[in-house]
Amino acid sequence: MSKSQQRTGLLAALALFGGGLLLTWVTHGTGTVKDDPARNISIPKELTVPLQVQAAYNDTNMYFRYRWPAPKPGIFHDVVVFEGGKWVRKGKGNPGTEKDGMHEDRVAMMLDDGGVPEFSRYGGYMTIGSGIASFTEHAKDDAVKAHPYLGKKLKQEEVSKYLPETRTDQNDWSSVQSEETLKAQRAAGYFLDLWHWRGHRSNPINMSDDQVIAEARLGDSGKSASGGNWDDQKKQPKFMFNQDSTGYKSLKWVDVKEGKISQESTYFLREGEAVAFDPAAGWVEGDTLPRRTLRKPEGSMADIAVQGKGRWADGYWDVTLKRKLDTGHPLDDKILKDRGAYSVAFAIHRSATGTRWHYVSLPFSLGLGRPGDIVANKFAGDTPKWGDKWTELELFYPGQVSWPHLNSKTHAGAAYIRKGQPVTTHHSVEQLKHYGIESEFAQQIRLQWLLTLLAGVALIATFGFAFNQLLKRKQGV
Amino acid sequence: MAPYHVVLVHFPIALWMTATLVILFRAVSDSPAAKLFDRALVPLLSIGLASGVLAFAVGLMVWPWETISASALGRNHVLTASWTVTYWAVILYVRWCRGETVWDGMSRWVKAGLAILGCGLLGITGTLGGHLVGIYTDVSTGLRMLGWDVYTTYYAPDYTLITLVVISVLLVGIGLWARRNAR
Repeated sequence: MSKSQQRTGLLAALALFGGGLLLTWVTHGTGTVKDDPARNISIPKELTVPLQVQAAYNDTNMYFRYRWPAPKPGIFHDVVVFEGGKWVRKGKGNPGTEKDGMHEDRVAMMLDDGGVPEFSRYGGYMTIGSGIASFTEHAKDDAVKAHPYLGKKLKQEEVSKYLPETRTDQNDWSSVQSEETLKAQRAAGYFLDLWHWRGHRSNPINMSDDQVIAEARLGDSGKSASGGNWDDQKKQPKFMFNQDSTGYKSLKWVDVKEGKISQESTYFLREGEAVAFDPAAGWVEGDTLPRRTLRKPEGSMADIAVQGKGRWADGYWDVTLKRKLDTGHPLDDKILKDRGAYSVAFAIHRSATGTRWHYVSLPFSLGLGRPGDIVANKFAGDTPKWGDKWTELELFYPGQVSWPHLNSKTHAGAAYIRKGQPVTTHHSVEQLKHYGIESEFAQQIRLQWLLTLLAGVALIATFGFAFNQLLKRKQGV
Repeated sequence: MAPYHVVLVHFPIALWMTATLVILFRAVSDSPAAKLFDRALVPLLSIGLASGVLAFAVGLMVWPWETISASALGRNHVLTASWTVTYWAVILYVRWCRGETVWDGMSRWVKAGLAILGCGLLGITGTLGGHLVGIYTDVSTGLRMLGWDVYTTYYAPDYTLITLVVISVLLVGIGLWARRNAR
């Protein structure tokens, strides 16, 4: 071989080898992660969202103020629209952003007083059990409805958040402990208090939903702030706007969809103000009614109210919630005390998303008049004087990461969980936002990675072969 | 096995780093000292490869396969470790087979480039190993700036994999052509 041939061959081999390496570098991580509604997969464009929190309390009440960005105010949940002579539901929900832009904005806060020890270490991760709804692999609705306790007694239609010890087998959502055990767990404080502000189903009447996470995500005892506005037999709404007081009997779909409805207007149906639906009221194409009604909540469900008004302005929601330190409902609520230490974790829904398409936080400590990640200072009077000092949190899209997975052989950190090490010992938001997505494509990514590994080895080895053959024969070491 | 893996990786890291210095020195110098160091290259690379393979094998026993292959950092560590071992095996193979002729003409610069690349790969592998046990460095920040977040699995799409296979076949073809012409 002439030197010229050797040189040409060497340059060709180098170009191929370098080109191959460069191609993998430029294209890595593509081609696998994509929306797949059939598998309940929709990846948000933004993986993190900031949340600002302030907390304060006086002798009687606890106050939390939340502020987070949202591209537009999600003040409707679902609606019925008069189309083609019949009422059609919009906002049923689908993976990711709802196709018609319906679904209310929300902020939720789980709160614990130490009754659920793992919560301070793992936050909401520990509430994601097997079979949970909206995961690619989830329990069949029929199976949940047929479950003697969850379906028949609690009227659950899907598997919601639950605490691990409410099951006898972590890998089986249906293995619910006996009612006697569940009752004892609740009395012992083994539940999470869930403050759940809803942009349509509670905020318009200055209330927040008040829930609890134990053997399922349940409402506190009493009556909720939201009811239904749909007569399934007559296939029509139950209520419509009172034209005498509002000036209209319905909204217009184009206004609702394009976000032209003012937060200060009457865009919600409040029981007692709305009037019975009249099918002969001269409905025209595009007439729109909320599919939910609002009413005065009762009992333990009426514990959390909005302080002032929860409003969206300039791209941000600003919501303050207020609750008695001691609600008198210790089986539903975590009773708060001056100088107490608690754990909290947050979540927000925005951009017309529901179920698991939210942003969540890691757990944080809350101190009432004592040190914590979030410090609530005591004040005198009825209204806290919020300053500019916020606790800045970063929320992230959690993907499909369940507690059974985290405690299984497919999670390298399972041993650390058994040792009681907190999630923050080994993980940051920066990591978790990616791990959540990778969990949704676990099998595909593993295969693609393995093929990439092998292809890379082949590339290096064959380059070595070519390089070796292009050089002169061995002349001695 | 984790502690044993941590102990073992020191050997290939030290040996391959040293080999890199020797290769670079020899690439830029034909001095007697450079030639003297070069004579130690094959033993250096051989022991480096043997200890690298051993560290790799022990590393695979730290976690079960279903665990390490389910973690982005774990996958990345295995991938870069596989490539690193293969890479340095190739450097040894060429030096061993072709002797001092590797320092003739432009091949010395190819050798130097391969050593630098191999050293970089070694550094990334070590960094990922550190991340796996909770010891972080800013190397991952640098990689992110270059386009790879180490908390995401490094994998290529199908068309890239097909291209790599085609390139590999072409490289084998070049090798066979060179061998035929050398005779």
